[in-house]
Amino acid sequence: MNNLSVESPPLSWWSAGILLGLLQVLAVGLTKPLDMSNEFIVADAKTLKHLAPEYAKTHPLAGNEEHTKFGYCSWFCIGLVGGGLLAAVRLRTWRARATTAWWRRNHNAPVVLRLIAGFGGGVLMLVGAGLAHGGTSGHLVSGWAQLSLSAVPFTIAMLGSGMLVAYVVYPRTPNITKRGQ
Amino acid sequence: MLTPIVGLIMGAMFGACLVLAGLTDPDKIIGALRLKDRDAIRTILVFVLVGMLGTWILQLCGTANLNVKPAAIVTVLIGGAIFGIGFGLTGFSPGTVLTSAASGRIDALSTIMGMLCGAHVYVLIYPRVAEPLEKIANYGKVTLPEITGSSPATWVIPILTAGVFSLILLRRQRSQKVEPQHEVGEPLIKEDFYATVGSSLARECAEAAQVFVRWKNIAFAVIILCLLLLQSSFWLAKTGHVKIDGAARTDQTRLVRKAANPAATEPERSAKEKVAQGPPEAGQQLKRYTSLITFGRLASAVRIANMLLVFASVLYALTMFCTMTVSLGGQNHICRAFYLSLVLLLLLLPWQIVFNSMGSGVIYTPGELARWCTADTSAGLGALLLMRFVGYPALAAILLFLAQWRSLRWRRTLMRELEQE
Repeated sequence: MNNLSVESPPLSWWSAGILLGLLQVLAVGLTKPLDMSNEFIVADAKTLKHLAPEYAKTHPLAGNEEHTKFGYCSWFCIGLVGGGLLAAVRLRTWRARATTAWWRRNHNAPVVLRLIAGFGGGVLMLVGAGLAHGGTSGHLVSGWAQLSLSAVPFTIAMLGSGMLVAYVVYPRTPNITKRGQ
Repeated sequence: MLTPIVGLIMGAMFGACLVLAGLTDPDKIIGALRLKDRDAIRTILVFVLVGMLGTWILQLCGTANLNVKPAAIVTVLIGGAIFGIGFGLTGFSPGTVLTSAASGRIDALSTIMGMLCGAHVYVLIYPRVAEPLEKIANYGKVTLPEITGSSPATWVIPILTAGVFSLILLRRQRSQKVEPQHEVGEPLIKEDFYATVGSSLARECAEAAQVFVRWKNIAFAVIILCLLLLQSSFWLAKTGHVKIDGAARTDQTRLVRKAANPAATEPERSAKEKVAQGPPEAGQQLKRYTSLITFGRLASAVRIANMLLVFASVLYALTMFCTMTVSLGGQNHICRAFYLSLVLLLLLLPWQIVFNSMGSGVIYTPGELARWCTADTSAGLGALLLMRFVGYPALAAILLFLAQWRSLRWRRTLMRELEQE
């Protein structure tokens, strides 16, 4: 398995999909549907409230109690990190790496560029998720689960630009390993 | 007190599942966006579909906790597009990036830093940019069933069906994987065979297959043309652009009926006139041209199309059979194509003539057309009419295209195998 190969996941597509779907159903039954992107905004609003309390008071987001509360979603994010770490260690897949097979296949550039692209992409993603009031989990997964109207324009816009950018940035395909190979 | 525990446990389970599903790997996300990694696409599709089905069941039980997002179309579209750029560039989403960083990805850490900066940018621009924009085309926190006034079932069931159909289509990868296994056993037979008979047999077979393929394609074109002709005839009659001759409603017993009871056609004529009038404003120009087409001429065209359709579909299935017998590779595809062409033939043949009203084929007689188009379409007959004259031929057309596509794949496989010889 070299760096130009995309490794196959431990679970098959159908069992992984069903498991994730059932977890979503459990979340809907217990608390509320998945939505992670809002937590970054909550973290920032909370920081703003501590650093500039005067400005935060007049701000429609930072002054809103709902956007500065350390609640269920914040604990969910901590759990997400813990669960990911445990699973990776248990599966022995934990290893420090900074680049991807698609990146290496397409760009003969230093790893720093990948990190810079990651940073830029992160900025864009959260600005977009903020404007749309949700990201992949909030609109694509939970939006369709609840059949919300907002899921339709989000899916069209997100997949349209996402596929276009992926096509422009990653034109060459690396070797994608299938399960059982 | 329960909130932190539930949150932590749910988060941990979800994080572990993301790692197990491989979605924390940005390579999988980019592979899905590039439509190259079918497993990743299928995982996400099943995730969304199971979530949708489960949420619907919970809604039916009255135990669902929903959190519908406001549908401010302009900001959702702009936000979605900006989000997509970052998503396509990095291969992370705000959920997977945390788990990805926990599983050792340093690039995920830089994306998290970027996300925190992005969140700050959003908080800063919110009062001036986002808040005013949100007021444009904002439908509020509505769901699709609410806005259309329908039940969730009318949305969930078609979406689930479409999803399952997409999963079936994505199965194609497996058949491609099977092909090399199929070829593994062949060289032994082929090597022995060609060693004794010589490769001239393979050439002869290839030439024969080429002839059959040419005739098959001609038959395909004829079938498509005839189906289109039958379809346009139906629409001309249905929209009233062609006057339907009342007596033609039972074309086989036309003369008998006319002689026995000439008065019986009177009410039918009034019905026919109603149809002939059609919509008062629409299609005036079309009417000028179609006035040249009488029902008699249309009936002749339908009969000719029917005859050609029967001949062409029999020829299509037969040439497919002959191609199958002379083919020296890709048997999987050509056998499927032959079977599909047989089913197509069975669907096309006018069984209503043989079994009366017990069965029906795609092919219709002019009398049948007249009878259906002048019938009262109020009591659910309208839908039946469309199913009979539009849905049924569409099904046949789908079968035809599937057969043609299979034979195309057979040809490609054969060419590849011949090149390898």
